[in-house]
Amino acid sequence: MTLPGRDVADIDALVTDRYLDSLLGANRRGAEGGEGGPTPRRLESGVRLASDRLVRDLPRFHPSFRFEERLAVRLAEAAAAMRLSAAVGAEGAVPVIPFPAPELPVGFDPLADAPHEGFVIGSLPRPLLIGGAVAASAISLAGAAYVAWRRTRPGGSPMARAARAAHAMRERPVQEV
Amino acid sequence: MARPVFRRSGAAGGAAPRIVHLDLDRPLVDAALRDPERFEALYRRYVAPVYSFAYYELGDHHAAEDATARTFLSALANLGRFEERARPEDGEGASTFKVWLFRIARNVIANERRSARRHPAAVLDEATTAIVADPLDIEGDSVRRDEAATAWHSVGRLPGDRRRALVLRFVDELSTAEIAGVMGRSEGAVRVLIHRALRSVARDLGAGPGSGAGPRGGRRQGRAR
Repeated sequence: MTLPGRDVADIDALVTDRYLDSLLGANRRGAEGGEGGPTPRRLESGVRLASDRLVRDLPRFHPSFRFEERLAVRLAEAAAAMRLSAAVGAEGAVPVIPFPAPELPVGFDPLADAPHEGFVIGSLPRPLLIGGAVAASAISLAGAAYVAWRRTRPGGSPMARAARAAHAMRERPVQEV
Repeated sequence: MARPVFRRSGAAGGAAPRIVHLDLDRPLVDAALRDPERFEALYRRYVAPVYSFAYYELGDHHAAEDATARTFLSALANLGRFEERARPEDGEGASTFKVWLFRIARNVIANERRSARRHPAAVLDEATTAIVADPLDIEGDSVRRDEAATAWHSVGRLPGDRRRALVLRFVDELSTAEIAGVMGRSEGAVRVLIHRALRSVARDLGAGPGSGAGPRGGRRQGRAR
């Protein structure tokens, strides 16, 4: 019984594959003095010689040290950016705070018990993401803006009066006794 | 998150089975998934094989660097999508991450070719002159350089898929199963591809049946892309 041509080709390819496994394995163990297995009888001599030549002669290439390090830096930067964005995402829903301060309605007092009608925090342009490093500077900027605004507002609440009185005390020149 | 894959070893003869990780790179991949900055270990392990593959495919130093950079940046950005698919029959030491990475490299290189229309054969001589540099053995250096150039040219003349399979097998030392994963073919098809490629190289080197008298007496094949 004879095998169809396709089967013969598959068997030859399989024999070659086994030989390559053995050859490449022996090549990897080369420094340790390893040896390849016996050559299968069915293996074509030309294929065997070509395999031996390619294992021995086919060069490998390595990128330049400079390129390798430069790419390592790029990857580290990309990884750091990924970690930062993941940290921001881990905070849950990112709150959106309007900045800069909107035009506030006349008589608006954030310290009053009930906010004035018509002032909606979310209705302002330029959203600012709060999260991670961005949050700290945003809060301090918003705080400074609020204190500056509060000082100039004539308000009737006890807290506003106390703030103005304390500011006036600090700015009063020291009287010599 | 990658699905864990384990295999049992040492189960024969009633001995207690030992559970071992199948994928060679699994600990490094897990570390990189937890902290992207740990991706560097995978990068250091595979930068040279990926560069070498790109260099064989593109034949140009700068193009190979570009392709290598794009491959690793893309792998880092998409690491969360990587899914380990190793099978027990792949054997210990198999790496599905390596297959995934080389698939990215193959796509990047294909895009690079389409956009740049580079032709590797034009710069092969430049590449082979840089292979060996041993000032104490000028004669041996010359012989080795010639042999390397001959091997390089023989492989360079192969059609695209045969060349690719041969480079992955001999230069990057991937297994047949891994090459099948990279090229999107069956293992049987890859085996046949490599076998036919070796026959062509044998003819080119004057070692195959029906070859001419000299080392370049074999049938010339146009380089397919």
